[in-house]
Amino acid sequence: MSDNLNEQNKPKVIAIYGKGGIGKSSTASNVAAACADEGYKVMIIGCDPKSDSSITLLGGKRIPTILDLIRSGVDITEDDVVFEGYNGIKCVEVGGPEPGIGCAGRGIIVAIQKLKKISTVQDQCDLVIYDVPGDIVCGGFVAPIRKGLVSEAYVLTSGEYMPLYAANNICRGLSKINTPLSGVICNARNVSREDEIVRKFAEEIGSKLIAFIPKEQIVQDCERDGFSVMEKAPDSEIAQVYRKLACAIMSKDGSVMVKALEDERLRELTR
Amino acid sequence: MDKIKDDGQTKTKKEISIIHPRPSSIVAALYTLRDLNVDVAILHGPPGCSFKHARLLEEDGIHVVTTSLDENGFVFGGHDELVALLEKVSEMFDPKLIGVVGTCVSMIIGEELHDAVLEANPDVPVIEVEVHAGYRNNTKGVLLTLESALDSGIISENEFDRQKALLEEATMVEKRHGAASKEYLAPSRGDVKYKVAQRIIGLLKEGKRGITIMNAKKETGYMFADITVAVNEIAKQLGVETNIVNMANIDDTLGLPRVRHHAKCIKDDLEARGIVIHDNIGGLDEYPIAGNVAGKLIDEKYGDYDFAVITGVPHAVPMDSISGMEIISVTNGPRQVLPLKEMGHKYVIVEIDLHPKTLGVNHIVESEFGATLREVAKDE
Ligand SMILES: Nc1ncnc2c1ncn2[C@@H]1O[C@H](COP(=O)(O)OP(=O)(O)O)[C@@H](O)[C@H]1O
Ligand code: SF4
Ligand SMILES: [Mg+2]
Repeated sequence: MSDNLNEQNKPKVIAIYGKGGIGKSSTASNVAAACADEGYKVMIIGCDPKSDSSITLLGGKRIPTILDLIRSGVDITEDDVVFEGYNGIKCVEVGGPEPGIGCAGRGIIVAIQKLKKISTVQDQCDLVIYDVPGDIVCGGFVAPIRKGLVSEAYVLTSGEYMPLYAANNICRGLSKINTPLSGVICNARNVSREDEIVRKFAEEIGSKLIAFIPKEQIVQDCERDGFSVMEKAPDSEIAQVYRKLACAIMSKDGSVMVKALEDERLRELTR
Repeated sequence: MDKIKDDGQTKTKKEISIIHPRPSSIVAALYTLRDLNVDVAILHGPPGCSFKHARLLEEDGIHVVTTSLDENGFVFGGHDELVALLEKVSEMFDPKLIGVVGTCVSMIIGEELHDAVLEANPDVPVIEVEVHAGYRNNTKGVLLTLESALDSGIISENEFDRQKALLEEATMVEKRHGAASKEYLAPSRGDVKYKVAQRIIGLLKEGKRGITIMNAKKETGYMFADITVAVNEIAKQLGVETNIVNMANIDDTLGLPRVRHHAKCIKDDLEARGIVIHDNIGGLDEYPIAGNVAGKLIDEKYGDYDFAVITGVPHAVPMDSISGMEIISVTNGPRQVLPLKEMGHKYVIVEIDLHPKTLGVNHIVESEFGATLREVAKDE
């Protein structure tokens, strides 16, 4: 495909938010892979101190994190922290302190500022995905948005009450920092009326459901081997879903300011 | 008044929102550690935190060092740095007592001072103070330090209770007429010392009777006492020394060891210069309540005096007892000028930078106002 898909030369920079463990990282890496398959230049920036965003794009390998290098005191260049994974995807991991020590939020801020200073890879991409950790617990976790790096935010949820509750909270947070939402993605957990519940939720906050990803064992099987579904099982049904989602994300932006639901309404929705 | 918590967590509607910067709880903790005679105080935080006061405290003979947390420390924590520094200071300074003080940074990221102390395990007691600069009243820093000192058996329960009561009173004094009394207090240099000196000399020459009240906070007494001395010298020069009575909070049996020592030094100096303190109104740490003692004494004995020269914490002396007098007050807080004028003090003088000059000394230090008085009196 052409090298010049990115016509305005401005990358689409997105972040996927959602409750911890709901599937942000696996969705991000599969979307990244699907876009790369389409010929887009893609970058993924893992902001979780666990540094698990890019593993499945790197054949199960871990890369040195920005914060590890900053901590060791060496001079850092782009080559030290930007690694090429599946189909040319640029992978970066922010890293962070061990759980329960220091300040991961501050870590994200420091790392993304460092990255901006030493690397221009982001600007040469068509799609940059910030894979942020679960809940927005402090300012550091919204730094990619606040610092003006992210242009589109998505929220990932299942039809279960708690993930929806988290998603709703995230929407509240987004409107607080005046950031629109570009769409709701459902990562199914096979609860009853799941599609309907999440679709309704998306509508009522003022956004729309842009993908319904089924729960499939194959996602975890591929992950265990260190791969995305796109790489290991490109012919699977779910690979097709990721492709469609990638397409939706790369097409025109449907960003709108959303309004979080009242707790009571949210409860009704899931009943 | 509504319930107001002093911990900075709760702010009721009645609390005003003060916008001028004011003393830090971290610094208050450092000074309290000094009064507890620690040899080394470790700041667990960024290298620049409390710099100016850390430097001043060295004049007072204590070592102040910092773990110097940098951006890495903010992100990854500074446990190892604190352990290493505890070990290092034990070797370098051979301390008998160590203080460890938190800062905003280390407290926000949840550093456990105690874990580091356990790991370093120095063979001397350590006072750990989990403090940051975000408390509404800086007295919180003192209180946290004293609590920790109590826990480690360095002060008695009695002394703790006494100090706690004094701190509560100090906070109230500041709220009533001090730096916490208004949303914003512009700093001021106060009245011209030369003019005020002339006025005092004039009053003495007219045969007016005056009271000097030194109500000083701890070591600041080394300089405020000089004003008492100067007024008495001039009264003597003019042959009216019997027109002056002196009050001072220099009881050397009260307070932490270092504070008692200051009281003793000042007392001895005053004696050596032939100054009689007619009424000892309390310990050097009792400035929040000694003003009331002075007020009572005036009501009883000196109600008909003509003027009063009040130094140190003049706003702690109740107006009721002195409203009939011409009041000249001397403070070291430029933001204290306005409230004092509002209280009705006719002249307010600021001894700029008084505090630094009273650190590391054990004799009375000449004040600018004292020097001015002496100079002006030469022409008499
Ligand atoms: N559609 C799916 N079907 C099956 N398993 C999934 C699906 N999406 C995610 N998972 C699995 O859920 C787990 C948590 O996903 P992960 O992406 O790490 O969540 P997050 O990044 O939101 O914390 C992973 O083991 C992942 O493989
Ligand atoms: S913000 Fe807090 S930690 Fe930082 S320098 Fe100021 S007082 Fe110290
Ligand atoms: Mg994740």
